Amino acid sequence: MSPVALRDNPKRELWLAWGATVFFYNLYAVVFFVFTHIQPPGQPWYSPDQARTWFSHHHDGLLIGLALIFVFGGLSATSIALITYSIRRMSVSRAFSYSYLIIYSVSAVPGFLFICVALTAGAMRPDRSPQLQHWLYQLGFLSFSGTMGVFLIGSLVWMTAILLDRNGVFPKWFGYLNLCNALTEVVVSPSWIFKTGVFPWNGLIAWWIDVFVFGIYTGVFITLLRGFIIREDFGTGPLPPAPHWRFWATEPAEAGS
Amino acid sequence: MKRTSGERVILWTLPAVAVIWIAAFFLFPGFVRPMSPRSSAAEVAAFYRNHTARIRYSMILLNWFCVALIPILMLIVERMRGMAHRTPILRFCMIGVAGAAPIAFLTATVFWLLAAFQPERPPELTQLLNDLAWVTFTCGVPFLVAQCGFLAMAIYFDRQDHPVFPRWVGRFNIVIAIALIPAGFAGLTKTGVFAWDGLVSFWAKNVAIALWIIVMSVVLARVIERDADAADNAAIAG
Repeated sequence: MSPVALRDNPKRELWLAWGATVFFYNLYAVVFFVFTHIQPPGQPWYSPDQARTWFSHHHDGLLIGLALIFVFGGLSATSIALITYSIRRMSVSRAFSYSYLIIYSVSAVPGFLFICVALTAGAMRPDRSPQLQHWLYQLGFLSFSGTMGVFLIGSLVWMTAILLDRNGVFPKWFGYLNLCNALTEVVVSPSWIFKTGVFPWNGLIAWWIDVFVFGIYTGVFITLLRGFIIREDFGTGPLPPAPHWRFWATEPAEAGS
Repeated sequence: MKRTSGERVILWTLPAVAVIWIAAFFLFPGFVRPMSPRSSAAEVAAFYRNHTARIRYSMILLNWFCVALIPILMLIVERMRGMAHRTPILRFCMIGVAGAAPIAFLTATVFWLLAAFQPERPPELTQLLNDLAWVTFTCGVPFLVAQCGFLAMAIYFDRQDHPVFPRWVGRFNIVIAIALIPAGFAGLTKTGVFAWDGLVSFWAKNVAIALWIIVMSVVLARVIERDADAADNAAIAG
């Protein structure tokens, strides 16, 4: 799409926000899995000396990768804005959309800024005492995994809105997928208690299952948001079906029903 | 009371809080001559011992008033309602980042205050709190960068005969966003212009933020006056 065509496209803001969302989640995956090796996470049972060594080994990757998050992290607002808009398009109170907007917006500071600050501070001074590096290491991983309530309640708000909606904005099964995402925030809570086994921040339950569910959830909601933008007619009431997207779309409710 | 009257009240809080921000900036001895990331733990601890009172008072002021920027940002968000957009997406984006930037700064003040709370603690602990404060303060630009980007895009898409903000305001926001970006990389070096006390990461970034606040408040004041006049004319005509 040329810039001029984009400028005149009535859905331009929606498409740009969607593109920024795709960019942000891809950047996030590359930075966390490839550059910094923050994911899969370091061992929760590391001794202070091992935590210090971890910072030394990941020094460059941490500083470069987290700098990219410091620069582009604000783009996380685009998916929040799109989802807020999608809830506004539903036949539910605006209280749902504003709740989602505020809950996910405040999550940014504990949810991703803290890990970036803690691990940058650790990588900046790899010669710091092992005890202090250990504390930064735990602050980073626990603030990241352990910021739970905002995503728990946020997902439940979105789920409730989808299940109550009669405009057919999202299929009902996606409402229940939100419940799965909310439950990952429940099962991650033992990571505040355990250092070994399946429950800690890198364990089978608190990391592997959570990342698996979150990965599917994110991929699905980005795809569904694309379908939502295609179907959007800027009207009120039921959202019209898109011809090529009916395989997933629920039938819109009858007008006036 | 007219809608714009309340908006004028919010706008006129800005000169008052700006005076406080500037006073607090000069009161904190770590800003006037930016603290060096190369300082040893002993030097950092000595800084907190020698300037305890000034650090506490300046950071209490900044902790109180950094959040005072949010109502000003909401004035911009309200103006965005008048833009020729089909959806409120960019307004939601602005609201999404408007809270996070002042809260990130507020978090930095908490680290500075914590370091000054007990300056006699082991120097390495004071240095750790000082590092956390400076990294949060310097690198914590993602929300400001995005805010300028969202606003620039909103102005670019505001295609109407009388756009809400003049076109140059959009380009100005792009320039500010570019000036803020290098600060995100301040963790990579302790020396040179990109270090947290460097020309780019400290001076360029903070001058850009100050310039943004000044320019946007002047632009906002004009737009709010224009809207107030339009409302008065409509009332007379009605």
